Amino acid sequence: MTVRPAPRTAENDGFRVLRGRRIRKPTIAPWMIMALIAVVAFLGLGFARTSLDGSAFDLAELDRAVAEQTALNRQLNLEIARLENPARISPLAEELGLVIPVRTNQILVDLDSAAPVVAERDGDGTNQ
Amino acid sequence: MSAGSGRLRLQPAKVRIALIGILVVLAWVAMGYRLVQIQVFAAPSLAEEGLSQRLVSRDLAPQRGKIFDRNGDLLAMTVEAQSLFAVPNQVEEPLWLAQQIGGLLEADSDLIFERLTSDRDFVYLKRQVDGVLAEEILGMGIRGVYAHPEPTRIYPAREVASHVIGFVNIDGVGQEGLELVYDQELTGIPGKAEFERGLDGTPILQGISDIVPAVPGVDLNTTIDIPLQYQAQQACMDAVKRTGADNCWVVVLEVETGEILAMTGSPPFDPVSRQTLDPQCDRLEDPSECRMFSNFIVRGMYEPGSTQKLITFAAALEESEVNIGTTISAVADVLELRDGACRSAEDDLYGCYRDFTEHETRDMTVAEIFTRSSNVGTIMIADRLGQNRLVEYIEKFGLGRKTGVDYTVESAGLLNFEAGCETCWASAAIGYSVAASPLQMAAAYAAIGNDGIWITPHIVASKTDVDGATEVAGIETRNVVSSGTALLMRALLASVVERGTGGNAAVAGYRVGGKTGTANKLGSDGRYTDDTRASFVGMAPISNPKIVVAVVVDSPHFDYRTGGAAAAPVFAAVMEQALHRLGVTPDGEQR
Repeated sequence: MTVRPAPRTAENDGFRVLRGRRIRKPTIAPWMIMALIAVVAFLGLGFARTSLDGSAFDLAELDRAVAEQTALNRQLNLEIARLENPARISPLAEELGLVIPVRTNQILVDLDSAAPVVAERDGDGTNQ
Repeated sequence: MSAGSGRLRLQPAKVRIALIGILVVLAWVAMGYRLVQIQVFAAPSLAEEGLSQRLVSRDLAPQRGKIFDRNGDLLAMTVEAQSLFAVPNQVEEPLWLAQQIGGLLEADSDLIFERLTSDRDFVYLKRQVDGVLAEEILGMGIRGVYAHPEPTRIYPAREVASHVIGFVNIDGVGQEGLELVYDQELTGIPGKAEFERGLDGTPILQGISDIVPAVPGVDLNTTIDIPLQYQAQQACMDAVKRTGADNCWVVVLEVETGEILAMTGSPPFDPVSRQTLDPQCDRLEDPSECRMFSNFIVRGMYEPGSTQKLITFAAALEESEVNIGTTISAVADVLELRDGACRSAEDDLYGCYRDFTEHETRDMTVAEIFTRSSNVGTIMIADRLGQNRLVEYIEKFGLGRKTGVDYTVESAGLLNFEAGCETCWASAAIGYSVAASPLQMAAAYAAIGNDGIWITPHIVASKTDVDGATEVAGIETRNVVSSGTALLMRALLASVVERGTGGNAAVAGYRVGGKTGTANKLGSDGRYTDDTRASFVGMAPISNPKIVVAVVVDSPHFDYRTGGAAAAPVFAAVMEQALHRLGVTPDGEQR
């Protein structure tokens, strides 16, 4: 907004407008901001780098844990296979009085017939 | 400066300050020089030296593939074990250590002591020890004893599958069986890792890292059915006990696919310790005489005897020289094809042929000749066929050449038709002068069960790699006789069990067909002895064959010298289990 001086009158005759001292607001120099940013960036970079290096240890630890669990899993699979070995089970079954079935029933379903046909067969196991 | 002295006088404080200033400047100059020297001139070599300390290269060993049976049960697998080693010059009491470690590891203490007192820098105490035991030994805190991880091969089914799977050596290289045949594929492709690491070995994430991962070996999915394999092995071991035989071998084939469901024998061996479970071997002075790793089913050759008649009759029927009802006139129990061959007390090797039991000369039908396993009658039928056509069919059925089974060092068998041998064709017609493996005979019978189509027998059904499972290629099929001839032959085979020499092969609930074989063994003098190889090859259910079982019993006691007495009961036991395992529907009782 433009301020025009008041019209000269008898009352204000003799007054004049003086040019006052310009007061400048205090400002932060741009170079200081830049320096600050640089310092923060430097520190941030250092922190990130340290964190990354730290995570390498975590990663190595996780790798070791995965390897351990994988080895454990393999051992358990192996144990299952060992336990399922018929050469191990068969003598134990015999001790418990179990035998190979000598009588088998098979239900033969004739799709053309309403009633299923039951075929029974007997065997003594070896026929020797 | 004082007036009138005429000389420049410096104040002591200023001198000191100047000197310190000069020293500081010189120190900075020296540091700057060194800095430039390190950072500029020596930088490349120092960086290289640093990198060489951080950079490590490791070979990545691939995981050896697993082996499964047809039900997905594990047969072979590699796990990590510990190998214990010592640095002899660090060991303080070698004798005490040898005794302690020897006892714990069940190893030879003298051998360990010898190693510990050697001038070597590194000696193994025992390789591939169980991890728990290794920890126990390391926990004793013995100076100079260390361990490093090493993969080891484990066979959970132990001796049950040893004749099929084979084994690897201490370094994990296949030596026998499937482990050898598929060694390259099971091994996989080694990888390589190059990376920067810290002092404790932790990889540096931002460092150089170049990793080519190892490609694990393929997994093999076999056609073997482990419970059936076990039953077959037990049946064989029982037969050896019952008949006093030296060995017994069994192979079970699925007719429609050529898949080997079981392949085993007696004696079995432990694939880890590689010790035979045959007590006879312990009595031998030279352990190498014990053929504990041999797989007779694939590598062995034997004169199949009367089981060979299947081919002779199938050829004659296919060529329309006879039919089942054709009557062959005047079938005697002795046939002399070369003058004087039957006059000597010991019949000539070739030229004199006798039936197993004496009988009057009479007319016999083709069916009766087959059922009663008449050698003379069979030779008379083969005579109608002629040598060339007989040989053609023998070869068509796969004798005299390898079957192509995925197993090592397969025997091709032998066809002995020497030039000038006038009677070799007659011998071949009844299973002499021809040598075949039990697998070849099983495949020939499977062709009859499969309506005349021969299929390559095989053990591996598919392989599983990182991309998934793939079927095994290279399974050959070929037509050897017509389906009509195959049907007639199955009827003849059934009659052998119902009315002939194979009564012991009957299985309750199923109609079974098969043929007995009793072949005298050649002695060291080149003449036949009373010692026999008794065999039985057959199939069931005869109305729609699903399974073929071949049994060979080697050198049974004289009372059990025939195929019907020694091998047929083994066949029945194994066939019954096989039919159970595959859930085959019964087709009725044997007539």
